[in-house]
Amino acid sequence: MTNALKNAKTFTSIMISLTSVSKWFGAQTAVDEIGFEAKKGEIIGFLGPNGAGKTTTMRLVLGLLRPTAGEIKVFNENPLNKRLAVLPQIGYLPENNPLYGEMKVLEYLSFIAKVKNLKNNDEIIELSEKLDISEVMEKKIEELSRGFKQRVGLAAALLGDPTLLILDEPTSGLDPIEQDKIKNLIKNIAKNKTVIFSTHILSEVEDIASRLIIIDQGSIVYDGKKPKGRGAVEKLFKKVVKKT
Amino acid sequence: MLALYKKELQFYLNNPIGYIVIVLFGVFANFLFVKDIFIYGSASLRPFFDILPWLMMVFIPAVAMRSLSEEKRNNTIEVLLSLPISETQIVLAKFFALLTLVAIGLMLTVSLPVSLYFLVTGTGARIYIPELIIGYLGQIFMAAAFLSLSMFFSSQTKNQIIAFLASTITLFFLIIFSTDFVASFLPFIVQTGLTYLSPVSQVEGFSKGVVDLWSLYYFLSFIIVFLFLTIVDVERRD
Repeated sequence: MTNALKNAKTFTSIMISLTSVSKWFGAQTAVDEIGFEAKKGEIIGFLGPNGAGKTTTMRLVLGLLRPTAGEIKVFNENPLNKRLAVLPQIGYLPENNPLYGEMKVLEYLSFIAKVKNLKNNDEIIELSEKLDISEVMEKKIEELSRGFKQRVGLAAALLGDPTLLILDEPTSGLDPIEQDKIKNLIKNIAKNKTVIFSTHILSEVEDIASRLIIIDQGSIVYDGKKPKGRGAVEKLFKKVVKKT
Repeated sequence: MLALYKKELQFYLNNPIGYIVIVLFGVFANFLFVKDIFIYGSASLRPFFDILPWLMMVFIPAVAMRSLSEEKRNNTIEVLLSLPISETQIVLAKFFALLTLVAIGLMLTVSLPVSLYFLVTGTGARIYIPELIIGYLGQIFMAAAFLSLSMFFSSQTKNQIIAFLASTITLFFLIIFSTDFVASFLPFIVQTGLTYLSPVSQVEGFSKGVVDLWSLYYFLSFIIVFLFLTIVDVERRD
């Protein structure tokens, strides 16, 4: 068992640690000296206006981008140098949920399961029931509605029972009914996992998150407990974010 | 890696485009040889092997152009890179899937030596089987080299058409380096150097049934260099 895997399974507190992390794209600063830690069992709502740096931060955590400065540790390992050790324990739903449209749902999930070294399809069957996609398993992904596509992406992220889930705008573009379904799903699957999900829908954070990180113009402007009460998140957001 | 190899191969085999490209390759290759078969006057596939680089110059970029550019355009590369599979495995799985597809296309031309065998039976001429096998082996090496170059261009852009054109034009120049037409314009030293760089001159030995170690080294180096450059691009985290 690799160190990262051991850390993921047994680490008692810190799953992710970012220290003074910056990312520049040319002259443009996407993320500016941010730092936070994510502990086991936390559900962190990553909130911010469009272009604030949410997706960049998530990509940095996954090792999909190299930080210009600072240090990132996932399960106490560098996700860039030890990505093959770290990634088996991470489930990722990218922004806009890119999928192979020409594949059938079952084919796609079997492919992901094989790459994740899962021995059989039991987990696919279990997840398809949990995520309510059993009826579309033989359909091509390109034929599915946005809500079903999102659930397929979520199932792919959950395969292998990862300890860390990173979900980038999981409810983006969905109608309110589908949004509620996805929110409930995240709440149910989040038990015993660390979840970081980005959104710009404030009510989502109120419903799901245990902790709130607000990012604006590449900097973290709030990191703390979710304020209690209806509309409290919105009030806080308006207070700390410059352009709303 | 095997899972990705199967997925890639299935994409082409479950897709009409894959079949159309393979069948067109087979049809053109067969037609271009058969139309002059009685003019050649020998029981050899060498004239056929001379035609293949020109066909591969178009067909290989056509099948390889989407390999990485489409992943980048649809951002599915992010899905792959978030899975526990290395960048080298991603590139190699795609490369071998495409090579399998090209090998299937080449298998469609096996009808040619079979037809040739029946044509020359009773005439005293005969087909030399080892020459034939080595000839096809040379074509596989050349196809692999063309594929590695086409995959490299596919990794450089999100636009399949640009990848196709860049690959085809580069292959065109590599092929014409070995032609008499180009040689007639250039000083001997330059001509010799350029001829050595041309995959066509390197595959000539194979077509004659000779496994030239230098040619083997050339093709392996060519393939490794372009696959390495492709892997470096996939590993980029800018």
